[in-house]
Parts: sequence; C-alpha cells; structure tokens
Amino acid sequence: MEKRESMWDVYLRKGMSRRSFLKGCVTLTSLMGLSTASLSKVVEAAETKPLPVVIWIHGHECTGCDESFIRSASPLASDVVLNDIALEYDHLLSAACGEPFEAHLEQTIQKYRGQYILAVEGAVSTKDNGIYCMSGGHTFTSMLQHAAEHAAAVIAYGTCAAYGGIQAAKPNPTGSSGIAHFVGRAPVVNVPGCPPIPEVMTGVVMHVALFGTLPPLDSENRPKQFYGNRIHDTCYRRPFFDAGMFAERFDDAGAKAGWCLYKLGCRGPETYNSCGNIRWYQGMSYPIQSGAPCIGCSNAHFWDEDPMSQRMPEYGPLGNVDKIGAGLAAVTTLGVVAHGAASVVQRNKREEEE
Amino acid sequence: MKEVTRREYYLFSPWLRIFHWIMVACIVTLFATGLMITSPWIIFSFEPTTSGMTVDNIRNIHFLAAYIFCAAFVLRIYGFITNPGDRLFPHVWKGYFYENTVDVALHYMFLKKEHASYLRNPLARCSYAFLYVLVFVEVLTGFGMYYMTNPSGIGGALFGWVITILGGEYMAHLVHHYVAWAIILFAIGHLYMVIRAEFMEGESEVSSMFSGSKILAHEPRDAGHLDGTLD
Repeated sequence: MEKRESMWDVYLRKGMSRRSFLKGCVTLTSLMGLSTASLSKVVEAAETKPLPVVIWIHGHECTGCDESFIRSASPLASDVVLNDIALEYDHLLSAACGEPFEAHLEQTIQKYRGQYILAVEGAVSTKDNGIYCMSGGHTFTSMLQHAAEHAAAVIAYGTCAAYGGIQAAKPNPTGSSGIAHFVGRAPVVNVPGCPPIPEVMTGVVMHVALFGTLPPLDSENRPKQFYGNRIHDTCYRRPFFDAGMFAERFDDAGAKAGWCLYKLGCRGPETYNSCGNIRWYQGMSYPIQSGAPCIGCSNAHFWDEDPMSQRMPEYGPLGNVDKIGAGLAAVTTLGVVAHGAASVVQRNKREEEE
Repeated sequence: MKEVTRREYYLFSPWLRIFHWIMVACIVTLFATGLMITSPWIIFSFEPTTSGMTVDNIRNIHFLAAYIFCAAFVLRIYGFITNPGDRLFPHVWKGYFYENTVDVALHYMFLKKEHASYLRNPLARCSYAFLYVLVFVEVLTGFGMYYMTNPSGIGGALFGWVITILGGEYMAHLVHHYVAWAIILFAIGHLYMVIRAEFMEGESEVSSMFSGSKILAHEPRDAGHLDGTLD
C-alpha cells in the first residue's frame, strides 16, 4: 500500500508554515475539550498519523447537518475536508457523480477495509424493505450495512442518524429509525442535534481521526465533552430561572428583557448539548439567546413532545395534567363523600334491624 | 348509652408512626413545591428576586424534602424488622387473603351489610403496596433527573438508566409529575377510608397512627399475625 499522508505532510505539500500547523493543532485541542497538556500529543498525532479515510453517506434526512458542518469556523470546514481528513466519498460534497462515483465507493471500502471512518447522516427507512430511501439503485439500508461492515468506527451525525429524526414522528409512515441496529459490530458515536453544532461535528471526527479511538461516551453513546451538560445548566438565562423571572408570553416585557423561557416550554432542562457554551456561528448566539425556547432537538422523540411552547402536553379540552389531576381529585372527593353518605345510611339501616 | 366490650391491640411501632407523619409532611411539601417548579408562581408581583420564595429556593425545599423522605424510610424498615404489627404487605400468597379481600370489597360496594373485623384490612394492605410502587417510581425518576446534572458522577451512574429506559428526560419529568397526582388521589382515598372506619366501626383507626393501638369490638380475623399463630 502506498504511504498515506499525515496532516503535517499535507501542510508541507501545500507550502503552509509550521506556525499555521501548530495553530491548527491548538484549535483542535481546545475544540476536542482536551487540556493544553495534551497539545503535544495532538501535534504528534497530526505529524505521524496518516489522514483518516472518511466515507460520508446520507440517508433519510434533509442534509441540514451538512449545512451546519460547512459553517464550522474553527476549524474551518474546508480545512477539515481538504487538509485534516481524506474524504473519499460524500453524497453531498463530492463533485463526481454517477457510476464511476459509486465504483469509487466500492474501491475505497475494499482498499481501506477496517480503517476508514463511516460518517452517517440521516435515518434508516425500514418499512417496505427500505424503498423509501434509495441511492444508486440500492436501498440506503443495504448501503449502510455494506459500508459499516468494514468501518473502524461509525459516527451518527444528527438526530436522524442517532434516533430516527423528524421523519420518525408519529405515525412514522416510512418506519424511520436510528442507524444503531444496522451497523453490525462497528462502534457508534452518536452526535445528535437537528442539526448538531458545527464545531461539535468537526470536533468529533477530528478526535477519531487524530487518536484513532472514540471520544469518551455517555450511556447514549454521545461524546461526553459535548453532551455532558444540560443546556439548562449552562444557560446564561439560568439566573433568571433561579430568581423566578420568566417570560410569560412571547410579546411581554419579560421576553423583551431576556428573562427565562421556561414557562414558554423551553426544553433546556431536559436537553444535553453544547448550545449554552459553544453556541452557534462562532459563539454568536443560540436559540434561547435569540428568544426562542429550546425545542430539545438533540433528544430522541423530541418531535413528538409537542406543544413545544408549553411545559406539558395538552389533552384537548381537558387541558394538561394539572387540570385533569385537579378535576380527578374533585371527582374523587365527591365520590368518597357520596360513598360516606351511603355508608352511614347502610349502617343506620343495619342498626335498626338489630 | 350503649355498653360495648372492646379489646386493645398494640399494632404500630413508634418507628412506623414517626415515618408515617414524616411521609405525610414530605408528600405535601413535595407535591406543593413540585407544582410550583412546573409552573412557577409569581408570588409577589413586584421584584421577584426579593421575594425569598425564588424558584431556586423552592427547588432546594423540594430536594430537601425528598432526601428527608428517603432517609426516613430507614425507620420504616427498622419497624418492619422489629415489630410484626408493622408488616403490611398484602399476603397475596395466602388463600385466606383473597377470601378476606372479597369480603371487604363486597361490603364497600354495599353488597354486604358489614365485613369481618381485621387489624389490617386486606384492601388497605393492597393500597399501601400500590402507594409504595408509586413512591418508588417517584424516587427513581426524581433522583434520575436530579443527579443527571452530572451524568458522569456516581449519582448519574446509579440512576441514569431510569432516563434511558423512559426514553428521555422529558418523559421522566412527565412520569414524575403524573405519578405525583396519582399519589394525591391515593391520599384522598386513604384519608376517607380511615375516617370512614372511624365513624362506621369506631375502631380508633385514626388515633392508631398516634397511639399505635387499635381498640376492636370483635375478634379480628388476622389477630394471629401479632403473636405468630397465623403466618
């Protein structure tokens, strides 16, 4: 096999300076959530490790995750794609198309057996043998199974690949589900979010690329460094929550003043993501900061947990559980009072008979 | 005036009684603060930060009550071990238990004039087991949500699986909230049943949770539980 380039080799070939290489490594180190002490390890890996081969396939989805990915600022998505990884196949970003392109996928799988990283966006459509999501004459399911069979690791980008996503919303006509059951024995990293934060996407692939291991994962196979905190616990509006200062409506003074959106159904208390600390667009903002309650887009089933602008589900004219509960409590009270009255009547009758 | 011969049966240990009243106080506190956490009230319409009852404080009261409740369960277990009168499991593995349950149920449905006398009514035993299931769900979902502020910590490791089983934290919040209402419905029924026992039979059902003794006019069917002649 020919010698494969490392990240440093790419920098040398392109005539880029050692300084810019080291700056890139510093960025990557902080992005992966590692301490500065790990910098030397990152530099060493970037100098010696061949660029990881990545195959990036797309299933049942909207490609919004790629829209997010190409907006990654540090590292730049273009740097990741052109200098930091060897992206051999990507449905969306590749210039090539048609049969030669499909043949190249097969070649890549055979050539880098057991070495490549498989990045997957989009859900698997399981109903009717998977005909609702086809690519190059094959179902996405079979393509995924084939590509995952020889993958070193699988990264599930987006809530679709992790949990099924919006197309899995009731009644889920296409039988969409996450990819976990279709990748065989390959280890899976879930990177949920609709879409995930750009820097989280690049951070995860770079971790796998540089260290050749998966980042530390939580019980749902999410990287701990990005999904280890609730948005609620990292939210800059949290002091308003603790102080009891809430926006009651989208157009009231509280909303204008930037108070907590909890009463408007914010899912921050139930959602694990980095929106509160990394934020979006180079740390400019995130939904809550712009006045929109979190909808919990990195949670499984978030699509069925409506209404998004209220804390609890409503059951038509019955209202939410607090109304139903109070109603049931009233009915129960009336019931026991009636039962009590009937019991007294029964007892009096019994005593008369005696 | 009526002359009735009654017999006193010492039943509930102080441990059970203390636990019972701690449980009452905790459940009332937990339910009230729980509702306030779900839909925070504007208690004082002026500056919320000066009210003292901030959401932060209400949550701390909720957590404190939860810890006290769990800690008090030690009393319940100690009473269960040392005093036969504290053992209130429904004896579903005994034939006579079903016979007695039907006897009581028929009376409650007004199909029978009265039921036999029991120290611990079989339907009440069932309802307590049901309550413990509800409380157990509350403890699991509660600690699940509470400790997941740090999913990598020991609490997260102990209770994180609850969130996974329920399919997410939103569902855990809903289950916690819905089951809280179920406990309140139980409490209404429980309160009624003990008061009813008091005015129907005059068997000191209410005061037994203070004094530990029941004073019965008839020989109870399950008296043998106390001296071990009936297992």
